[in-house]
Amino acid sequence: MPSAAAAFHRRIDDALADTRVRAALASTMTRLTNGRAGALASLEASDAIRDQARRIRAHTIAHLDTYLDQFARNADARGCRIHWAPTATDATRIIVEIARAEDISLAVKSKSMVTEEIELNAALGAAGIRVVETDLGEFVVQVGDDRPSHIIAPIVHRRREDVARLFQEKLGARPEEVADVAAITAFARRLLRRDFLQAGMGISGVNLAVADSGSFCLVTNEGNGRLSTTLPRVHVAVMGLERIVPNAADLGIVLQLLARSATGQALSVYTNIISGPRRPANPGAPGAHGAPGAPGAGEPDGPDQLHVVIVDNGRTRMLDGPLAEMLYCIRCGACLNICPVYRHIGGHAYGGVYPGPMGAVVSPGLMGLDQWSELPHASSLCGACKDVCPVRIDLPHLLLTLRAQAADRELGPWWLRLAMPIYAAVATRPALYQWLGSLAARVSQGLARGGWIRHLPGPLAAWTAARDFPAPARRSFLQTYEQRRGRTGNAS
Amino acid sequence: MTGAREQILGAIRDGLRHAVLPDAEADAGAVAAPRAGTAGTVGREKLWQQFTEALTALTGRVHHAASAAEAAGIVAAVAAEHGARTYLSWDGDQLGCDGILEELASRGLARVTYDLPFDGERRAAEVAALGDVVLGLTGSDAAIAEAGAIVLASGPGRGRLASLLPPVHVAIVSASRIWPSLPALLADAPELVGRGANTVVIAGPSRTADIEMTLTHGVHGPKYLHVVVMP
Repeated sequence: MPSAAAAFHRRIDDALADTRVRAALASTMTRLTNGRAGALASLEASDAIRDQARRIRAHTIAHLDTYLDQFARNADARGCRIHWAPTATDATRIIVEIARAEDISLAVKSKSMVTEEIELNAALGAAGIRVVETDLGEFVVQVGDDRPSHIIAPIVHRRREDVARLFQEKLGARPEEVADVAAITAFARRLLRRDFLQAGMGISGVNLAVADSGSFCLVTNEGNGRLSTTLPRVHVAVMGLERIVPNAADLGIVLQLLARSATGQALSVYTNIISGPRRPANPGAPGAHGAPGAPGAGEPDGPDQLHVVIVDNGRTRMLDGPLAEMLYCIRCGACLNICPVYRHIGGHAYGGVYPGPMGAVVSPGLMGLDQWSELPHASSLCGACKDVCPVRIDLPHLLLTLRAQAADRELGPWWLRLAMPIYAAVATRPALYQWLGSLAARVSQGLARGGWIRHLPGPLAAWTAARDFPAPARRSFLQTYEQRRGRTGNAS
Repeated sequence: MTGAREQILGAIRDGLRHAVLPDAEADAGAVAAPRAGTAGTVGREKLWQQFTEALTALTGRVHHAASAAEAAGIVAAVAAEHGARTYLSWDGDQLGCDGILEELASRGLARVTYDLPFDGERRAAEVAALGDVVLGLTGSDAAIAEAGAIVLASGPGRGRLASLLPPVHVAIVSASRIWPSLPALLADAPELVGRGANTVVIAGPSRTADIEMTLTHGVHGPKYLHVVVMP
């Protein structure tokens, strides 16, 4: 779809023109990448642990129907209410219905990519329910009417001065309240604390669920994930249906890699494992499903209602075929941090909710190639993403698979669709290939100045718009080979 | 919701027929247990040393106490440092340090108790009343050496807010309950995951680096974390 492609290229041009963002990206990505490398180096047998984590994820996805059902049944037995959402619309409708039934006017939200994906904030807002993002980065995104540009560091594209100005303009902060990062953080804490106290509903994602215990875990550093799931009387957890491991031991292995790969921490500050709502004094009493438990002898705090919304929204479509390996992903962001393309263009250029190499597979995987056929091309296929992936997803292979699918469905530009069959016809006829090759070499020699071609004609101009093309050698490899063989008399 | 459940599980089963899933061994009913050592194979003292280094690097502090009176002295000193007169706490029989609440009372520290109601307005008022409390005291179910982390399972008498709402958190942990890593702990004691409605692993004080990668502590959770190791 040319319009989607044009828009993508325009976003890339905009991103490349923004030198401030590029500088911020370069330094942040370098720090995250170094942090990851150090954290994995300090982990004994990290290669074997990664192999094991991969096997755990592969095994889980291969038996996803069993494990998901097991999780749902066990979570239900612990007092969770399980909801199944085939589409994003189903998910947001379910959550709006819960909010209405409980008469909720304010919800606090912990950072969650799946809720971005289903556009939950817009749906709740349309239903008259105020949603407040409580992760500092996501809060800045919300106040600035912006979009996150990284799945772990949502405002990597913003400078401190941008945040300070935003808080002054939109939230009435005084200059001394935004004087430095510590002051900005304290200001946000004060503001958000009020919302935490008032909110009737807390919304979170799910990093990983545990099938055999019906538990799920949320990983955060700030503590907003804990506040969102402890203070409000209703907690809604939104879960992509693949975010699951079989048991507690598996959870430990995957978590040991998650924070290390994401931020270089051995563990995130808070690994919050939730197994049902607040437990009442007498587990059999009516308190178990929403009414207050008997005072005194039960748990003194925690949500009285816990809803788990299991979201498909294209995941079973991704499972059905060659992209299924992408469902192993644990959303650490390491592939973004290392990717030379992401490092240059940042997250917004990708257009979707999920940027970087993983996003270039997930966006078309979940939503189809029609709108996203350009994304798999935003890669040099250097393989760095595969090298750093904690579960060793073969991202370059998946990107190539998507490119092939796009070509099969004729989603590329017209000249490429025209050119590839011609190339195939030529490349399978050696004599023709050699003749045309030497012709092309002579023509391009004529275009070259000082060994470089600065402007190619026609559609090829797109390539030389930002790069020079090295002039081909005067003699082809085969010509040189034949000549040398003739000289020495053998092929070595 | 049965319709949606069947629809999704059915779509998964259909998808699995064509799914390309490298390294998914068909017979892997159970994935091998982690090969990490347990507390027995590495000396406990060495693990506590590792724990202390890790937590100190995260700006947390580690203390040692031989008795409830000593532990209370440490808590009282931390309280004085932050001007705390009151504190949130787990119940006395959950702290793993018998008599400490009485010791704290004799030092002039008043425990604030609560039980959040379901009703929204009363709930907000009750939490707001806890907003001025500066110190929270908890026990702890386990410690993790490599991460400098402690593990807390919620339950009756084991409120979550004590480790979450006040800016200062003091946790008491038994010296015998240390594991080298989270995988080692969860392989050893998987029941810990579901012991509380909420089991939290805490590795240092609350922090963020969202703005320009500048590390800032105490953004939503406690800014100060003290761990008191008891025999």
